[in-house]
Amino acid sequence: MKNSTKRVLVVLFAVFCIAPLAFAQAPAAAPAAAPATTAAVPPPPAPKPILDADLAGTPVPSADAHAKGDPDGSLTGNASDVTMSDPKKGLTIGDLANQVGQNKIAVNFVWTLITGYLVMFMQLGFALLETGLARAKNANHTMMMNMGVYGIGMFAYWLIGFAIQMGGVGAVANLGGTAPLSAEFTATIFGKPFGLFGQHGLFLMHKGTYDVGVMVLFLFQMVFMDTGATIPTGAAVERWKFSAFIVTSFLFAAFTYPLYANWAWGGGWLANLGANFGLGKGYCDFAGSGVVHAVGGLSALAIAMILGPRIGKFSREGRPQVILAHDIVLVITGCLILAFGWFGFNPGSTLGASSNGNLRIGSIAVNTMLASASGMISAMLYMWFMYKKPDASMTGNGFLAGLVAITAPSGFVNPVGAVIIGLVAGVLVCLSVAFVERVLQVDDPVGAVSVHGTCGIWGVISVGLFADGKSNYGGAWNGVNGSVTGLFYGDASQLVAQLVGVATLVGFVFTLSFIFAFVVDLLVGQRTSAKSELEGLDLPEMGALAYPEFELKS
Amino acid sequence: MILVGILLTLLGFVISVLSLGVTSSVGGRLAMVLVGLAVSLFGIMGVLNKAYLKNAIWKKG
Repeated sequence: MKNSTKRVLVVLFAVFCIAPLAFAQAPAAAPAAAPATTAAVPPPPAPKPILDADLAGTPVPSADAHAKGDPDGSLTGNASDVTMSDPKKGLTIGDLANQVGQNKIAVNFVWTLITGYLVMFMQLGFALLETGLARAKNANHTMMMNMGVYGIGMFAYWLIGFAIQMGGVGAVANLGGTAPLSAEFTATIFGKPFGLFGQHGLFLMHKGTYDVGVMVLFLFQMVFMDTGATIPTGAAVERWKFSAFIVTSFLFAAFTYPLYANWAWGGGWLANLGANFGLGKGYCDFAGSGVVHAVGGLSALAIAMILGPRIGKFSREGRPQVILAHDIVLVITGCLILAFGWFGFNPGSTLGASSNGNLRIGSIAVNTMLASASGMISAMLYMWFMYKKPDASMTGNGFLAGLVAITAPSGFVNPVGAVIIGLVAGVLVCLSVAFVERVLQVDDPVGAVSVHGTCGIWGVISVGLFADGKSNYGGAWNGVNGSVTGLFYGDASQLVAQLVGVATLVGFVFTLSFIFAFVVDLLVGQRTSAKSELEGLDLPEMGALAYPEFELKS
Repeated sequence: MILVGILLTLLGFVISVLSLGVTSSVGGRLAMVLVGLAVSLFGIMGVLNKAYLKNAIWKKG
């Protein structure tokens, strides 16, 4: 690379890194106390209560007016649409209050369901990304893993996973209650209750869980779990036996993911680190950098270690060799679809748009897009500077790294924090990919361990650093009054809570994933035969080529 | 070695959880959690992974 180009890149990189820091906001000082007023101000008149009689005269468009059509929309939607409990008595204040309450819950249901559908669409993003990064001879097999994990994962989660994760979460006010999810198994440790797993909700029928609020919660949590479950398929691509993949994915969806998700989101012991041990607001993971991405990334690492590298990935001296992706167009398309789906992932995690603090959905969405942009930029500049070209697949990984990292803090940080978190994630993913490949000598064809594991952990830690104490979701989080506040804004104990979560991910979740994958390896065998691998897995494993009309070179 | 690696990784988790009961100071807990993390990472990268690399496919010729 020319020296002038190099200098431009260095300057650009420095600007992107330093500018946000320069504009970072220090915690605001407490406002000065207002001077006491001496002039007597008469109290405002007490509001006149609205009586049922006042509603009797509410104008309602006549049936004749409606019959002529309503092209400008001024007649449609009026008092006659409010459900009356007793038509003989007419419209009452009680009817209005019930309608307002139902409207609030309806808004939240629709919000949560639609954002859940967006997250489901991310499966396509993962499928295209992983297939594009694999070789053409494994395209059918890779696509099938990404589709298969949706069905297998959902089935396991419906059977038992959801109950373990959310069976003791209690009332979710945004969804109108979810009261049947009320039984958390706890153990007393250090004199405090440690929530370990939920007990209600098996098959979505057990203990009254055939409930509209529970159904909405299930759909949203299921697609999150499935996002986590599809991460290991990327690290194991091109050599994972399909039958072993099915068993391993079932175990992930039934036990590994739900356990950690219960501890963080289902009322478990990590969420209560604040209430029980005075550590900030407890472990805070707004949308799942830890719960979804780090769990998936660490499981991917365990499986990739057991599988071993693809034939030809390392030379006899252990040096990594490049195995080219077969379709960068698919890779970039997948990345953009994932970024689109992330607008469901993060803002949807409020589980509502109409409640105290839920209007932060705008801030959460903007944080999400800013972190994705800064992650992409820093990864691209890093690759350009270090390896002379702005590598497309690593730029895509930087894009996703920013998204993964902002997932946990998206609800708690300001836009400057989001940009810094994304910038760090973009460089971190490049360093991590090199570390995993060159130092650990683990073959991770799509960089799943680095994007989701490393940057997921960074996202969890960044909550403990950058949470600015301005968010307010009903005045408390995890049962502790106040807003989530990180080290840079004055609360070091929040960082400790986050690190306990990271230690649980690395020490417990990895181990559990490893043990499951190890047992499956003993019983079923995780890896395909060398012959199948060299031929490509499409024919030996799936019985059909993805691209039968093209001649493939192995 | 695989069993040793698993046990070390779990030990790191246990050390981190113990920090909650052993001390109430933020600094003390932070130190213990970091030690726990280091132990777990050593278990994964220094022991478990090394055990698998011994029989890595590229060494089989």
